Amino acid sequence: MAMFKQLPKIAFQILLLWLVFRCGTYLVAFLHLALPGNVAGMLLMFALLATGVVKPVLIEAGGGFLLKHFAFFFIPISVGLMAFGPLMRQSGLTLLAVLMASAGVGVLVTGLAVQLLHGRSSR
Amino acid sequence: MKLFLFAGYLLVTIGAYLVTRRIFLRFKYPLLNPVFLSTLVIIALLQATGGTLADYQPAKDAMTFLLGPATVALALPLYHNRGVLRRHALPVFAGVVAGSLATIATVLIAGRIAGLGRGVLISLGPKSVTVPIAVEISRIAGGEPTLTAAFVVATGMIGSILGPTLLSAARVKNPVARGLALGTVSHGQGTAVALMEGETAGAMGGVAMAIAAVCTALIAPYYFPLFLR
Repeated sequence: MAMFKQLPKIAFQILLLWLVFRCGTYLVAFLHLALPGNVAGMLLMFALLATGVVKPVLIEAGGGFLLKHFAFFFIPISVGLMAFGPLMRQSGLTLLAVLMASAGVGVLVTGLAVQLLHGRSSR
Repeated sequence: MKLFLFAGYLLVTIGAYLVTRRIFLRFKYPLLNPVFLSTLVIIALLQATGGTLADYQPAKDAMTFLLGPATVALALPLYHNRGVLRRHALPVFAGVVAGSLATIATVLIAGRIAGLGRGVLISLGPKSVTVPIAVEISRIAGGEPTLTAAFVVATGMIGSILGPTLLSAARVKNPVARGLALGTVSHGQGTAVALMEGETAGAMGGVAMAIAAVCTALIAPYYFPLFLR
């Protein structure tokens, strides 16, 4: 029930986030940057929060709602995989092996590098 | 009829998400990932009913409309954790950048040795970055955004399953290091696992996910081609 009461507030805050997203998109198009518009929007939002221009309460209800259900938006995108049946049948296992190797290396490099640097800086 | 189909796909997708999310929250096992399970259910349903991707497209467009503002909202966790970010600036940035460079190099080199085509390789490049940013990096670099989305979800599950075991085997016990490693490689799914290990690891996972996304987006145009023909 609490969510329904909050609905207008959530909708308004999502509109604000959408405006920042559009600003990011226009910015990269205008400057001809090879950077995704949503990354520019996120950095812009962070800058607005860090400089105190926007108070976090102004976007927390809407932003929190979107982040809570962030994974939902990936489902309709992943359904597009249907068009790649032949590739998956032919190279599925290869792709799995490649992804596993890459994940393993990435996790170990990050973990060991941070532990090494962190141990030094905090001692 | 068209409207009926549109509403039907909308309801099925939301329903699949809500049910699989329940299942995941109950068991908290990475293979029960809601995106993975829901996608399987919807593809099976489309194939059983003779539906095509073109039929599903309008519903997809409606549902992904909020993905842009959702990505912008990732600035919130980053802002809330700016204290840890400042305190551990060097290990955070050095670790996340090193991890991103290593995971991209590995996937492109291994994929090339395995004989994967150029389009597939480019689509693999941003696979450790959260979906909305990864698909944009893929599109700009000339990959297949849909393939990238699938690789991102797969990497999320793989890293969440293997990551904690590998880190323990390598004696990485520091929660800052564990959280950063899981977030750098397995984005939101890794962050969820890190959060189960503790609050510090979870916060670091969220920070790593955002920095890895920005880092990969910035270097992709120059770094990917080094490993491509």
